[in-house]
Amino acid sequence: MPAATERRSLYLERFTDALRRADGEPGWMRRRRERAMERFLTLGVPTRRDEEYKYTNLTALRDARLLLGPARSGGLPIDAPHIPAGQRAVVFAGEPGQVTVRGEPPRGVRVRRLSKVLRTDPPGLETHLAATAQFKDHPLCALNTALFADGVVIESEPGVIAEEPVHVSFGDGLGARHPRVLILARRNSSVRVVERHSGAGAFWRNAVTEIVAEPNARVDHFRAQLDSLDAYHTGVVQASQERDSYVSSFSLSFGAALARNDIGTRLVGSGCECSLDGLFAVRGSQHVDHHTAIDHAMPHCNSHQLYKGVLDDRARGVFNGKIFVRRDAQKTDAVQSNKNLLLSDEAEVNTKPQLEIDANDVRCTHGATIGQLDATAAFYLRSRGISAAHARNILTYAFAADALERIRDASLKEHFESVLLSRFAREEH
Amino acid sequence: MLHVRNLHAGVDGQEILRGVNLDVELGSVHAIMGPNGSGKSTLASVLAGRDGYEVTAGSVTYATQDLLEMDPEIRARNGIFLAFQYPVEIPGVTMMYFMREAVNAVYRHRGQEELSAGDFLRLARAKIGPLGISPDMLKRAVNAGFSGGEKKRSEIFQMSMLEPTLSILDETDSGLDIDALKVVSRGVNSLRSPARSFLVITHYQRLLNYIVPDHVHVLSQGRIVRSGDRSLALELEKHGYGWIEERAAERVALGA
Ligand SMILES: Nc1ncnc2c1ncn2[C@@H]1O[C@H](COP(=O)(O)OP(=O)(O)OP(=O)(O)O)[C@@H](O)[C@H]1O
Ligand SMILES: [Mg+2]
Repeated sequence: MPAATERRSLYLERFTDALRRADGEPGWMRRRRERAMERFLTLGVPTRRDEEYKYTNLTALRDARLLLGPARSGGLPIDAPHIPAGQRAVVFAGEPGQVTVRGEPPRGVRVRRLSKVLRTDPPGLETHLAATAQFKDHPLCALNTALFADGVVIESEPGVIAEEPVHVSFGDGLGARHPRVLILARRNSSVRVVERHSGAGAFWRNAVTEIVAEPNARVDHFRAQLDSLDAYHTGVVQASQERDSYVSSFSLSFGAALARNDIGTRLVGSGCECSLDGLFAVRGSQHVDHHTAIDHAMPHCNSHQLYKGVLDDRARGVFNGKIFVRRDAQKTDAVQSNKNLLLSDEAEVNTKPQLEIDANDVRCTHGATIGQLDATAAFYLRSRGISAAHARNILTYAFAADALERIRDASLKEHFESVLLSRFAREEH
Repeated sequence: MLHVRNLHAGVDGQEILRGVNLDVELGSVHAIMGPNGSGKSTLASVLAGRDGYEVTAGSVTYATQDLLEMDPEIRARNGIFLAFQYPVEIPGVTMMYFMREAVNAVYRHRGQEELSAGDFLRLARAKIGPLGISPDMLKRAVNAGFSGGEKKRSEIFQMSMLEPTLSILDETDSGLDIDALKVVSRGVNSLRSPARSFLVITHYQRLLNYIVPDHVHVLSQGRIVRSGDRSLALELEKHGYGWIEERAAERVALGA
């Protein structure tokens, strides 16, 4: 059997399984899954001929056997260090069904399993699920839509301001995993979500998160990708923002052999604001790619972007930041910045802003830097008795840490500061 | 304690120091003066171990050890301190963290117990007060956004924290008003002891009224062309470097 035909039949097999599991879902969801599967089979796993994947080679994901891996359980401790006691955490350990829930959700915030929500089909679900993240031109998003088994729906009631975050964690897996999250912030509400991917072993995680911010709502989304260095990670975060809403996204990407994140927001109401920030730190032969897209469709919206990258050894980084300013989006204020630190001569980063501006009364700025450690600063530290290795660690940390300053939650910030430190700690004396 | 012998050093194959000889005994203060570009900072950099300076001939011994063999941090731990002519700004690293790491590295080297956060803070406060700097400086990033005067005081603060055996002050007086100059000089003088030496690089005799040197040397075109006591500094102030350089040139011409 030729490879392509074999792949096709393996994908279809997985799809049959998915539909069997999805028994009891509403008809609209089933139709969306079918369309998504069709779309994926038409587009296939992207190749480097596709401009969007010019620097990121996903060939490994074309091995459909990845989808066949057996389920594996456990591995992720429920008491993750970044989750303070008492806060609501939903932890997916591995196989669908292996879910642990602990703590209390903030008052006025509902945290439910997606598989259950789908069976009750509450009003609004059809409008947002598999509609906010559009799969027409995104084969991996399509594959997730066709195959996802479970996930979480987080919904804040109108007017509710949640102080504490909700945690969603995805642990080990073999084969392919397609987790799905929907965050729905109703009018005038505010909700914070910490999404963490941290699995051991070799597998492919293909995650999709949809965020909907109704008028005057606020969503803070923090995403930590700490998958094993043998894993492939592809992820989509797509937000849709109505009038006067605010969405912040922070993408921390330290893990995976290869990671590709597509993070975007559509500003479909006026007076919106968004921050898309990120920090990636990679070494060895890791490859990490962030593609961001901000769609300014309406006037008087502001967007900020700060992405920082630290690359050691032979690691590769890609940052591509798209900003669309549509004809009606007058008074748009968009700022984009990407700063990279190369710790080795063999590390490389490709960074590219991509601005398409159809309005005339706007301010859009972008800047990218690629630099090395400041040798003068390193000498200054050493001249005070600090070892060369420690000086390197201090300066690397200083470069990256100001990105972490954007994390509002103190315990979360502290946790990821220490993760960052341990990532780059070299033998010191 | 420090013996510099026939030191030749340069950058990118270009010779800057061309045979420097200098002996600094324990407990003494040596001033080095000389025109711009004569190699004063280069000498300081070579002594502190800065990358990029190539020693092509000569030797430097420090307390019987071969100084040139040591990494910069090892020199620092063994008591060498350089107050930079242009202190470096390091955004994202607080003064407090920086100095605590430095002090503890030196303490570890000496076999002393490291300072706790509380003890460190007490020590830092005690050292910073007399320098006329607010302890708030400890919370700021190293030299970032400091005024010229603050940067120089920060260098003296670091020196007093590390209590070096040999302090090299590279134009620490430049850009200071008279009050700041007095404060900085007091900081240096309070460290003076029979167990410490200083190499004070300056363009101005004024500083030497406050930090009184035992010896004054003139560096010109990469060589020490004249040495004397304090009165040499006064002479230089009156006549400039011209007469010394002319005589040095004559001697070279005569093959002396
Ligand atoms: N890193 C370097 N790269 C290139 N040239 C250098 C470097 N360091 C010093 N030089 C050159 O060596 C010469 C001596 O410089 P140095 O800084 O040692 O002089 P200085 O006596 O300290 O002068 P000043 O009084 O202006 O501080 C100058 O011509 C300078 O341009
Ligand atoms: Mg100089």
